[in-house]
Amino acid sequence: MAYSNEDYLPTLEELTVPEIEITSSVFRTAAHHLGKYCDNASKEFMLCRAEEDDPRKCLNEGKEVTRCGFEFLRKVKKSCFAEFNQYLQCIDHSGSEMEFKNCRTTQDIYDNCIKENLGQDRPELGYFAKVRLHKTDRPKPGPRPHHLPDTLPAPPENYEPADPLKKLSKY
Amino acid sequence: MASYTQDLPPKNGFEKIQWQAQNPTRLMRGYTQFALFAAFTLCGWVGFAFWRKRQRRYNLEMMDARVAIEPFLLAEKDRAILKHLRRCRDEENEVMKNVPGWKTGTLWGEPVYYNVRDRFIKPSHTEQIVHLDPKYVNKVQYNHLVQ
Repeated sequence: MAYSNEDYLPTLEELTVPEIEITSSVFRTAAHHLGKYCDNASKEFMLCRAEEDDPRKCLNEGKEVTRCGFEFLRKVKKSCFAEFNQYLQCIDHSGSEMEFKNCRTTQDIYDNCIKENLGQDRPELGYFAKVRLHKTDRPKPGPRPHHLPDTLPAPPENYEPADPLKKLSKY
Repeated sequence: MASYTQDLPPKNGFEKIQWQAQNPTRLMRGYTQFALFAAFTLCGWVGFAFWRKRQRRYNLEMMDARVAIEPFLLAEKDRAILKHLRRCRDEENEVMKNVPGWKTGTLWGEPVYYNVRDRFIKPSHTEQIVHLDPKYVNKVQYNHLVQ
């Protein structure tokens, strides 16, 4: 194991939160609206991961992402359950890749319901794939301190380095 | 008594023997053929351009969906990995508690990795499954080879 008892690892209580236990087709169905609803939290989390390169330091951001996902799904379940399920059935049977192109009719119904209840439009094409800027309050982490060994002691005063030629002169 | 009929040539005589070479009649001139080739190729390329444009839209939409759910999957995965590391460390503490001189996470006190900047280390696969039940080790380690 690479971690000794002095190294920081979060406790199991810190790491245990309710997880979003949904399958791939449900994620695919919800993806666009879910991503837009949790846009800020997602960007914060991904920026943290990219900057810190350390999952131990982005736990709170990750929990926020999961909480936001729960919030969205709960709202959808409350207001657009039937429409969502109809769309999900279509997506689930839409080829091996679960493409969106075969499900425009049900998608429109679902989008209208989301628009009415959550007041959110479907993000335009390429919204998530393009480069987006994100403003955050979290300070940018620099490289962690590198503990180098102490410098060597200075030579004593009136120190004359030995002349290697003197050794040779007797020959 | 059986009646016989003489085997005779057809009434109007045999067909004429074709001895002259029959050249095929030409449907169109060479220039027309070139023009047709150009027209079909152009139609094909234009169709392909439209198809490619539409396909790129579909691919972009799929990529959008993948990018949108990536933080949700990563957040869960990070927590799972950290949980597993924690469990592995606790297990090693438990297993090696009776061995004098053993220090968890090191090889008899010598660190396994050179890590002065305290970076996050993701242990190797073998190291992660070292406390696994032996009957599952092969399944986990060589699962990609089994169909």
